[in-house]
Amino acid sequence: MGTNREVNLETIKEASCTLSGHVIETPIQTCETLDLLAGRRLFFKCENFQRSGSFKFRGAFNAVSRLVSSNSNEPTKRQVHVVGCSSGNYACGLALAAKHHGVTAHVIMPNNCPECKKQAVLSYGANLLQREQKDFIPARKQVEDLTGAVFISSSQHPDVISGQGTMGLELLQQVPDLDAVIMPVGGGGMLAGVSMVIKSICPEVRVYGAEPEVANQAALSLRTGERRAFSHFPRSIADGLVCGIGEVTWTYIRDNVDDIFTVSEDEIKNAMRLVWERMKLVVEPSGVVGVAAVLCDSFKARAGGCKNVAVILSGGNVDVQKLPEILKM
Amino acid sequence: MEGNNNEVTLETVKKAASTLSDHVIRTPVQTCDTLDLLSGRRLFFKCENFQKSGSFKFRGACHALSRLVSANGTTPHRLQVVAGSTGNFACGLAMAAELFGVTAHVVMPNNSPECKRQTALSYGADLTLCEPTAQDIAQTVKQVQDVTGAVFISGGNNPDVISGHGTMGLELLRQVSNLDAVVMPVGTGGMLSGVSVAIKSICPEIRIYGAEPEVANDAAMSLSKGERCTFARFPQSIADGLNGNIGPVPWTYIQSYVDNIFTVSEDEIKNATRLVWEKMKLVVEPSGAVGVAAVLSDSFKAQAGGCRNVAVILSGGNVDLQVDKLSEFL
Repeated sequence: MGTNREVNLETIKEASCTLSGHVIETPIQTCETLDLLAGRRLFFKCENFQRSGSFKFRGAFNAVSRLVSSNSNEPTKRQVHVVGCSSGNYACGLALAAKHHGVTAHVIMPNNCPECKKQAVLSYGANLLQREQKDFIPARKQVEDLTGAVFISSSQHPDVISGQGTMGLELLQQVPDLDAVIMPVGGGGMLAGVSMVIKSICPEVRVYGAEPEVANQAALSLRTGERRAFSHFPRSIADGLVCGIGEVTWTYIRDNVDDIFTVSEDEIKNAMRLVWERMKLVVEPSGVVGVAAVLCDSFKARAGGCKNVAVILSGGNVDVQKLPEILKM
Repeated sequence: MEGNNNEVTLETVKKAASTLSDHVIRTPVQTCDTLDLLSGRRLFFKCENFQKSGSFKFRGACHALSRLVSANGTTPHRLQVVAGSTGNFACGLAMAAELFGVTAHVVMPNNSPECKRQTALSYGADLTLCEPTAQDIAQTVKQVQDVTGAVFISGGNNPDVISGHGTMGLELLRQVSNLDAVVMPVGTGGMLSGVSVAIKSICPEIRIYGAEPEVANDAAMSLSKGERCTFARFPQSIADGLNGNIGPVPWTYIQSYVDNIFTVSEDEIKNATRLVWEKMKLVVEPSGAVGVAAVLSDSFKAQAGGCRNVAVILSGGNVDLQVDKLSEFL
C-alpha cells in the first residue's frame, strides 16, 4: 500500500462512508462562559466522546479497513498484523480498530505514557511494547520482521489523514456560518485532513492549528515556509503533541492552514480547568490546546474578526488520579 | 406567596415546561457501550450536569421564581428570596434570581463543596454558612427571613420547584423510545416526586426508581415502612447533595408513584463516579452518579432485571477539583 497516495476531498468522502456506522458523529457543544472569555461564539466538537476516547479512532479505522479490503483479494487467508507507534491515543484507536476487524495490533508506546492509555490498549487485545521514544523505529522493524506486520503511521499515512478529515465534513454540516476552525497539532494528521476538507469546500473558512510553545515545531515551520524538525522530544503537559509534523502532513499544512497559535503550559492548564468546570467535560491537556489558543491574546490580535469558531476537543484520555497534579499551576 | 397547598400534577409540570422553555437547557441523552455491558441492559443517561448552574436544580428554582415574580406584582428587584441548601439548589436559585433581577440569600452548611459556594456567590447571591444539621439550617434561614423579609423557597417541598424538576420526565419520554424504567438519585425528593408524577401520569407502566446512599437511606426506609422516616443528624455520604432528609411534600408523591428505592455503598458511588468520568468523559459529582451506582448494583439486577431500556439521570456535575477533595473519591 503506497503511502504516497494523495489525500483529497474524494478520499475523505470515501473515508466518511467507510466510517459510517462505526465512528460516532460527535456532538457540538457550546458554553456561554467561554464565549464571553473568548469574545466570540465557540462551537466545541466533542471528540473526547469518540470511540477509544479520541479522534484517532477515525484514521485508524479507515486505514485498517482499507488494508483488510485490499487483502481480501488475496487467495491465502493469513492473519493480518498491523504495527503503530504512539504516545497513546493512536495506540488506543489502532488497537480498537484492529479488534473490530479481527486484525492483530502491535503498539509501541513510550515508557511514561498515561496509565489509562496503556490499560485501554491492553483491554482491546493489542500487543503492547513500551520503549524510549528513540528506540521506536528499531522496535517497529523488529515487529515487522517477526510478524509481517504492516506499519500504519499515526499521522503520515494517507488513509489515516483521510479518516481524520471526516471531522471537517461533519463540522461543515453541524455549524452554520462557520468562520474558522481551530484544532491541536502534533503529527499533523488532523490538521492536514480537516484543512483539506475545509479549503476544498469552503475556502473562505479559516483553518488554524494550536500548539504548545515548548513544542512549536509546526508553528515555526509554517512561519518560515520550511519544515523544521526538533532533535529531541520536548516535554509538555500536552503529552499527545510532542511529536513533530512529518513530511506528508507538512505538504497539506503548508498549503491549507492559515495560522498556527502557540500557548504556554499554564494557558493549557487554565483551559483544561475551564472545560472541566464550566462544560463538565472530561478532556485531556492535549485535547484543550485549541481552547487555550482561542482564548489567547495572539488569537484575538490575529484572528479577531472570526465570529463563529469551531474548536475541536480532540480527546479525553487522562489519568484522573493525576488530575490535581496536572491542574496545579 | 408560596403555595404549600398546591398539588403537583401533570398539568403543573406541563405549565412548568412552558415557563422554562426559554430558560433551561433541554439536556442531551447519552449512551455508553461499556456501561451497557456492565449493567446488562441499555442505559440512557440524561446529562443534567450540563444544565445551567451545573445541576437539574435550576429547573425547579427557575420555575418557582418565575411564578413568584408573576404572582407578587412587586417589581422584581424589591423581591428577596431565601433558601437552605447543601449546595446545588443554592446555585440554581442564585442563577435564577440573577436572571429575574431578584435578590437571593442562600444558607449552606459549612462543609459544602467550595465550588458550590463560589458558584452561588458568582451569581450575586448573599451567602450565610451554618452547622451541617437540619436544625441549624432551618434556624439560620429563619434568621435571614426575619432580618430581610425574604420569601422562603424550599428546595424540596415547594410544589413549583417539584413541578420544575418534573419537566425532566417530559423530556425523557420524548427523548427515549421504549422506556422501561427511570432511575434517579433522591435527597429531599424534589426530583423523584416531580419526575414520577410526570411519567406515571402519561405512561404508568414505566417503572420509577430512586437511588440513595446506604448511609443516608431515609427515603428507602420510608418507602419500605410506609411512613416518612428522617435522620436527626445529617449523614456524611460522599454524595454530599443527598445528605438531606426526604421532605413531607415529596413523600406524598413518592409513596404513591415510586416503585422502589435502591441503596448503594460509598464504594459503589465512588466507583460509579469514576466510571462515568473515565468511560463517558463526563464530569459528574458523586451525588450525580448515585443512579448509575444503583443500576450497576446486584439488588437492581435482582429486583428490576426485566427492565431493558433504563434512563438514568446524571443529576449534576459541581465537584471540587482540588487534590484533597478529588482523592476522596478517586
